[in-house]
Amino acid sequence: MGGGGGMKVSLNWLKRYVEIDEDVDLLADDLSMFGLNVEEVTNLAPDFSGIVFGKVLEVQRHPKADRLSLCTVDAGSGEPLRIVCGAANVRPGLGVPVAVHGAVLPGGFKIKRTKIRGEVSEGMICSEKELMIGEDAEGIMELDFEETPGTSLEGRLGTSDYILDIEVTPNRPDLLSHIGVAREIAALYRRPLGEPERLELAAGSTFDLSVEDGADCPRYTAAFVEDVTIGPSSEWLKNLLTAAGVKPVNNIVDITNFVLMEMGQPLHAFDLDTLRRETIVVRRARKGEDLRTLDGITRELDREILVIADGERPVALAGVMGGSDTEIREGTRRILLESAMFEPRLVRRAKERFRLETEASYRFEREGDIGITLQALERACFLIRELGAGRPVPQYAESLADPGSIGERTVALRTKQANRVMGTHLTSGEIVSLLGRLALGATASGNNVTVSVPTFRRDLREEIDLIEEVARVYGYDNIGRESSSRGTVFATVSPADIRNERICAYLASRSFAEVVTSSFMDPEDPVKFGWGETDPRCRPIEIANPLTAAQSVLRTSLVPGLLGVIQRNSPTEQEGMRIFEYGKTFLRAQSGSGLPNEELHVAAALARKADPLQWIEQQRRVDYFDMKGELEALLDRLGVSTDVRMLPTENDNHPFVYKWVVKGRQLAEGGRIPRHVTGRYGIETPVYYFDLLIDALPVSARGELGYSRTSPYPLVKRDLCLVAGERVAFADIQNVIVRSTKYLESIRLFDYYTGGHLGESKRSYTFRLSFRSKEGTLADSDVDREIEKILSDLNRELQVTLRR
Amino acid sequence: MSDEIIDRSRPGEIEKRAVKAITEADTVDALEEERIRYLGRKGEITELLRSVGRMPVEERPALGNIINNVKRRIEELLETRLEQLASEVQEEVPFPGDPTLPGRSGWQGGPHILHKVLRDVKRIFFGMGYSLAEGPDVELDYYNFEALNFPPDHPSRDLQDTFYINRDILLRTQTSPVQVRYMEKHEPPLRIISPGRVYRNESPDPSHASEFYQMEGLYVDTDVSLGDLRNDVTFFIRSFFGMDAKVRFRPHFFPFPEPSAEVDMSCFGCKGSGCQICGKAGWIEIMGAGMVHPHVFRYAGYDPDAYTGFAFGMGIERIAMLKYGIDDIRRFLANDLRFLRQFWTESWAGVVE
Ligand SMILES: [Zn+2]
Repeated sequence: MGGGGGMKVSLNWLKRYVEIDEDVDLLADDLSMFGLNVEEVTNLAPDFSGIVFGKVLEVQRHPKADRLSLCTVDAGSGEPLRIVCGAANVRPGLGVPVAVHGAVLPGGFKIKRTKIRGEVSEGMICSEKELMIGEDAEGIMELDFEETPGTSLEGRLGTSDYILDIEVTPNRPDLLSHIGVAREIAALYRRPLGEPERLELAAGSTFDLSVEDGADCPRYTAAFVEDVTIGPSSEWLKNLLTAAGVKPVNNIVDITNFVLMEMGQPLHAFDLDTLRRETIVVRRARKGEDLRTLDGITRELDREILVIADGERPVALAGVMGGSDTEIREGTRRILLESAMFEPRLVRRAKERFRLETEASYRFEREGDIGITLQALERACFLIRELGAGRPVPQYAESLADPGSIGERTVALRTKQANRVMGTHLTSGEIVSLLGRLALGATASGNNVTVSVPTFRRDLREEIDLIEEVARVYGYDNIGRESSSRGTVFATVSPADIRNERICAYLASRSFAEVVTSSFMDPEDPVKFGWGETDPRCRPIEIANPLTAAQSVLRTSLVPGLLGVIQRNSPTEQEGMRIFEYGKTFLRAQSGSGLPNEELHVAAALARKADPLQWIEQQRRVDYFDMKGELEALLDRLGVSTDVRMLPTENDNHPFVYKWVVKGRQLAEGGRIPRHVTGRYGIETPVYYFDLLIDALPVSARGELGYSRTSPYPLVKRDLCLVAGERVAFADIQNVIVRSTKYLESIRLFDYYTGGHLGESKRSYTFRLSFRSKEGTLADSDVDREIEKILSDLNRELQVTLRR
Repeated sequence: MSDEIIDRSRPGEIEKRAVKAITEADTVDALEEERIRYLGRKGEITELLRSVGRMPVEERPALGNIINNVKRRIEELLETRLEQLASEVQEEVPFPGDPTLPGRSGWQGGPHILHKVLRDVKRIFFGMGYSLAEGPDVELDYYNFEALNFPPDHPSRDLQDTFYINRDILLRTQTSPVQVRYMEKHEPPLRIISPGRVYRNESPDPSHASEFYQMEGLYVDTDVSLGDLRNDVTFFIRSFFGMDAKVRFRPHFFPFPEPSAEVDMSCFGCKGSGCQICGKAGWIEIMGAGMVHPHVFRYAGYDPDAYTGFAFGMGIERIAMLKYGIDDIRRFLANDLRFLRQFWTESWAGVVE
């Protein structure tokens, strides 16, 4: 376990406190539905098949090899098997595990009938190592029980235990212990919970213990053990620790680890004779002090770090790790056992400073149980005495900042409120009994329930916390589905949301593929693009702790992301690349809360071919007017096309890029991405793009439109061929025409040329104008007057003339 | 023509006949015949116009106007019909003889699967009476953590999981801050969804992304209960995944809602018997949900004794991956067109005949 937010509990270990008859998978499901999410169940039994109980009948020397024996073994298959064996301890009468033909050993090794040095061997007699249930590879395994030969040994050898990996959220530190999980199982199945045996200690030790600041260390308790004999632990203890993933070390260390895993309270054992003075001071470290921790690394300390000191020097990082000078060793005779409660923030700080996550720090950071520090010492002393590891001293030493902190807390619950939140009709009495199953003492008085919350459930602070427990024990699935809500809330539609969805749907229907790219950007992107220094897109917002350098700033434009998509797709895909993205950009704000300006954009890019390869037409290359046509059609859809003015950008690096401005505000930018820019992204083909700032769309655009009655009168068409100087823009000519006449229904440019007999400085435009009146039929003379007015305005304002 | 006075109904009568004849003319030549019949030098309209000169002076302008209008309408109709006939003629020229040749085609486009799923999800909740609420991606620590009952220095707001701009500003790790902002500005009853992009400082792998979409819901009123939460969440899951989905609430200790639960639905791959999709469990985790904590109400300035509420949240990528069997969350932002294209086809699954 460790930082992953989980606790691995052993099923055998749990059974020490609560009766469990359920199949392990059922237990796991039941626990999950009770709020303890079991993420994985691991069977610790060795994974083999075809291994059976065999009885050795005869043993003879192998004729060709001194070290090998020829054995006859009854493995229940009728005829005894002939097996060649190399172990020295094989002898007649022995019960042994036999891998018969077809058996599979742990690790997947398959047993077959074979010949060894010329003699047939019909199986294998196995060692502990071969079955992966022990380290002994020297001899074959001698079974200490009798069975009918041929009986399968699956589940009979090695540890038979299961590990449940339980997800533990930070507010339930009590579940970081076997007793905590057992308490939930007892509540779940309504069974009694057995408490671990303890050796009761009395107050009154004369040991010199002091805590500098009770806020840093609300409780510190210490017990003492004399006549310590360091040695290996008992098998049962080693087995349980190994199952829970803790490596056995020696009896004292194993007992502290056992209590940690059992009760969730970290203990630390100091070799008392290595303390320079028989004193413990819990204090902040001083600048310049250092400490070599158990892992052999010397840590530099300062006022931010809480330490345990012996009167002269720090001997442990409080709640994280002990020092190597005072650790338990072979010859340790006297020990001090520490069981304390440290301020979670200090433990967290030390953990982060030294990048040192331990079983202890993991629990202290989550604010352990201040009520059990003494019980944990008593439990350890009991085990030390029982296992003959030393002689506990009957008195303990203690520093307790607030005696009230180790008592139970009273929390009130209103039955009516509980029923309101859950949608149930429980009585106060029912609530009391539901809470009682979780070892929470509760009493009912009318519509109120008073609950005594023990220290191991410090997450239960107020009424709502208790309601959650009631709901959980009652069972979420037992809560009725009838609605109790009386109010009615009507949905409101978001016009902006509808507009944005329609923009996306429109572009998709215009055969653009929608893409979604990262909100992050490479700080190199603005450099690659060559946006001007004054361009806000060049000053992206930096992430203090980015994942990678290429994702270290927030995007200021969608366009680099679009280039990334073009670049990552294959050349075949690039052939018809028409993509768009709808999303946010992040620009530095000038003032206010410090939050950036988040702008909503839609940007599109087109590359290579205007249409697919097909038999009916030549493939045309995409050009600037494909992009412009799409943008204009979109603006038209958005009802803003008539208000938009087009201007060049001021950036010399981007010669074919223009901006579209509406009411003084830039609405869009578009054009050809310069070749040197696309080149930097590894794109060979020209890329055209537009980038529309959705937030700049006039809010009123749609609202101003309304139905206008279609005219029943006939249409009059006139073609107009005009000649203009090269400085006159088409857009200006069109604007003048539109402004000049009230009868114009549509205007289309259908011919344009320059050069030739006109000369380089002239351009020719041919328009088809359609006129229609709403009031009546237009006579030729009416239209003639309109044309005259158009021509005179054009001539006066733009020196544009009719081509003769 | 004689000196008789022109019958005033005559222009209309001529027009009627002309319209019929022109509309029925099915060749360019036939149309030209009609043009000559009515508008030619000796055509009926031309003759009629000429005869106006023989009318009393005071009647001439009005009559002339009427006849001119008829003339213009016939001209226009002739032109329209000519264009029609001309295009019909052109169409016949390049017909290649094989009607099974492929039709003229353009490029195809379509929505991104993420936005498509997001839209479908939003639509279901809009139908249930939820309104849309949105907020910034870059958020104050206050809204992302503090106002949501995450105490400072709490292990669940570990520095490792959050992208910071500075000490007070971060990239939101959930869309819950939108709810807090919404509650600051609105009084109950309220019922909102807040979809949006969220960020986690995690190295990407097939099931984790450092940026993804989340959608949270919030319903606050005088008597909203856990039972109501189960109704709404169940309705959503069945609408999105299929009406036969079973839903279960598994208690879970989130710091924000209380009581809280993880919501599982029966696996649509195996209907509960266990398969690869659900990892043999028969159930798939879909979202987290629970009752709004009174602290959150206090932060918002609501009386926690007057109101109750529920909240829920889910990952959009996750439900998209489940529904469409997508194996790796990183595909969403990779934008491989071969991936994106697969979701352009409209699906009618679930349509009842
Ligand atoms: Zn399944």
